[in-house]
Amino acid sequence: MTQVGKSISVYRFVRSLPRWVLLFAALLPAYVDASASAAELVVYSGRKESAIKPVVELFERETGIKVALKIGKTSGLANAILQERGRPQADIFIATEAGVCEILARQEVLEPYASPGARAMPAEHKSSRGLWTGISGRARVIIYNKNLVKGGDIPNSILDLADAKWKGKIAIAGTRERTTLSWLSALVQVMGEAKAKAYIDRLMANGLKVLPDNSDVWRGVGSGEFAVGLTNSPNYHLAVQANLPVGVVYPDQGPRGMGILVNPNAVAIVKGAKNLDQAKRFVDFLLSKPAQDLLVRHAFEIPLLPGVDPGAVRPLSGFKALPINQERLAELEDRTMTLFPGL
Amino acid sequence: MINTTTGVRPIESGGLRVLRRPRIMDPGPAAIAGTALIILLTVSPLATLATSVLAAGANALSIVTQGPVLLLIARTGLLAALATLWAIILGLPPAWILTRTDLPGRRVLLAVAVLPLAIPPYIGALTYITLLGPVGWVNTTAQALGAGGPIANIYGLWGGIFVLGLFTYPYILLMAGSALQGSDPALEEAARAVGLGSIATFRRVTLPLLRPSLLAGALLVFLYALSDFGAVSLLRVDTFTTEIFHQLNTRFDQRNAAVLSGVLVLITAGVLIAQRATLGRRSYVQRRSGVRPPTVYPLGRWKLPALCCTYIVLGGSVFLPVALLLYQTGSLMTLLQTLVSGYHFLWNSLWTATVAATAASGLGLFVAYLAQRRQGPVGLLLTSATQLGYAVPGTVLGLSLILLYNAYLPWVYGTAAMVIIGYLLRFLPQAVQGSTAALVQVDAHLEEAARSLGRSAWQALREVTLPLIRPGIAAGWMLVFISSMKELAATLLLRPAGFDTLPVRIWIASIEVDYAGAAATSLILIAITAVPLFLMTRRDATLSRIE
Repeated sequence: MTQVGKSISVYRFVRSLPRWVLLFAALLPAYVDASASAAELVVYSGRKESAIKPVVELFERETGIKVALKIGKTSGLANAILQERGRPQADIFIATEAGVCEILARQEVLEPYASPGARAMPAEHKSSRGLWTGISGRARVIIYNKNLVKGGDIPNSILDLADAKWKGKIAIAGTRERTTLSWLSALVQVMGEAKAKAYIDRLMANGLKVLPDNSDVWRGVGSGEFAVGLTNSPNYHLAVQANLPVGVVYPDQGPRGMGILVNPNAVAIVKGAKNLDQAKRFVDFLLSKPAQDLLVRHAFEIPLLPGVDPGAVRPLSGFKALPINQERLAELEDRTMTLFPGL
Repeated sequence: MINTTTGVRPIESGGLRVLRRPRIMDPGPAAIAGTALIILLTVSPLATLATSVLAAGANALSIVTQGPVLLLIARTGLLAALATLWAIILGLPPAWILTRTDLPGRRVLLAVAVLPLAIPPYIGALTYITLLGPVGWVNTTAQALGAGGPIANIYGLWGGIFVLGLFTYPYILLMAGSALQGSDPALEEAARAVGLGSIATFRRVTLPLLRPSLLAGALLVFLYALSDFGAVSLLRVDTFTTEIFHQLNTRFDQRNAAVLSGVLVLITAGVLIAQRATLGRRSYVQRRSGVRPPTVYPLGRWKLPALCCTYIVLGGSVFLPVALLLYQTGSLMTLLQTLVSGYHFLWNSLWTATVAATAASGLGLFVAYLAQRRQGPVGLLLTSATQLGYAVPGTVLGLSLILLYNAYLPWVYGTAAMVIIGYLLRFLPQAVQGSTAALVQVDAHLEEAARSLGRSAWQALREVTLPLIRPGIAAGWMLVFISSMKELAATLLLRPAGFDTLPVRIWIASIEVDYAGAAATSLILIAITAVPLFLMTRRDATLSRIE
């Protein structure tokens, strides 16, 4: 009896549901208007939320400027900026890799701005036309699983990875990760097309595992799925933070070694930005010491500006870097993709 | 008109019906305006796509004839076909067992069995990577026990098929289940009376009657698998959508992406046309007799196997993922904290999905009504236009909407309305199908009768047809709501800055390697989405008991 009673009340509730839903839907437009907040600065960021949010919050506190933050994949946000070119929505674009900024620069959707704070920035980490500025960097390193790789086996050069003992044990993110793409372009630039191609072909023949993204690489190496991974320096620290048995090598450091590619994270102002003054203040702020400290420390990035404490991370001065310019890397991109179709 | 002894009538009946075709609705201004609105809404992104393809010219079309792309088409087709087959294998037996047998606790089990719809396949994929990945629990345990190498590998095509089928089978279960529940016992009794055995009866009577709903369910699974991005990319299967993503996000080649999306649209259109052709003239739609509930078969000694079979399916698709998410969440405190700190993400998800589902139901009813009650090209055109929303991957849809709305309706752009439009376009087909399925069961002559009694067309619709098709509309509403709650790809692009939904939060947490946060948010999403699903299955049960 009670069962039936309950059923009927459930039934009545279900029957009245459409009416409530309609009422709810009718009232919503009012809410939509209220939610379209009047942000004074719109930031599209490809950086992780945990890395960029503290900086944005500090900026809001110090300047009183309200920021609307949109987190996404760097390339997805770049595509959105391209689509929005007729009527830009974003004021600031933060990219995890400078090549994207070069692509946007070529499409003429960026606004030049030379922040005073960028003066001390090394030339290879900022646009020569002032269209973007590096904010922090990451080095292209080798990581390895400490349980699987020991002592003398630890590779010192990326060239060592073509050795048969690594057959099927190396992981890399494909060119869908843009840091891999610029690394490959850098190889083409430094080694020459033929040598770079021969090297990658040997890696492929050695069973190189091409994964969708970098987090697959460091998690895979950390868990023992792979012995060695080619990835970016912050990922080593993330793996350590996650208590994974991972070691790191900054390869090719000998007197004749070619050195390591450093990819900058970059900030750019979107052309036609509605809040240009606030955007400029934001760029200045990102290059200021308090913001740099937050940016670098939270995400294990390499400081690109002198005088910023690198914390646990090896500083720029601590290894031999490849002197290469981002515009050149961007020019090489198309060629690189046709050279390495399997990646 | 309705053959009362069978409770079945042909969709396209000839004879008298053709002579006295009822004209229910005059093409009033409302109908014209509605048609124009829907065509604009649905066709405009496709037109954007087509413009990009045309702008690319013959040169870009060459990408389609390249070997790797043909291989991708083949692989994606295989993935979708086998995932559909797997979903039928998983969904059809429980559909029959849970609706037509005396299995203990079948009502609760039915409510649980549709729960995988609340679990986004990308979350399902993560579960099975944890379990069956190269260093997943199964492999590490096996190796600890002395196995030489990994004994299972979830990555690759087979893993993709496994996961996609496992989390989409409820489409089959729901469609076939409601057909089985609504079927008239007289037909099967008649088959028995002429001496057919149980299996022969199932094959020759039940299965043919099930065919339209089975096909509708299979279509949903197939099209889902065709355009899925999240699960396949996690499981490292290269498909058409991952290639489109690659063209967009590595090469920044929107033309190639548009050409590839165009191919996907064509494939989907082909599949939809094939479905229409298969249903053809010979198909029948069952009316709910309302007189007698369908025959319930006693299971007898088959009770235990049937129970096991049901629990295995539920275990893999519901219990395991939820248990794993609970484990990853760690503690109830984490769950509560996530809920408290993320209540506005929940709210964002809830209200956008609600508005999208309501709008989709309204438009869907309109489209279905026009297509069903007024013969001619307009209905067909409308149905096709709305269904093509299936074919465009979320990312591509998102980008074309950005281009369109930012240029032509800038006051809409940058608001949450964009997210709603994204949901609406992607999931309108589900609402159309819900309304169509309900509408074909209501004879147009009922409305005619109402009109002959002096009611206006609108009154006839409101007083006669609407009450009869309300369950179908409600089912469509809930499907759109659930799908919208889970949507990620288009939302990522379309949301205004600072406006996150639950799936966006899951995505952010997972790239931040915040497993506990991702798991807790996933649990919240699943719990919320489960409510309408539960109501939907309860509602059937309650209704039949009251009647």
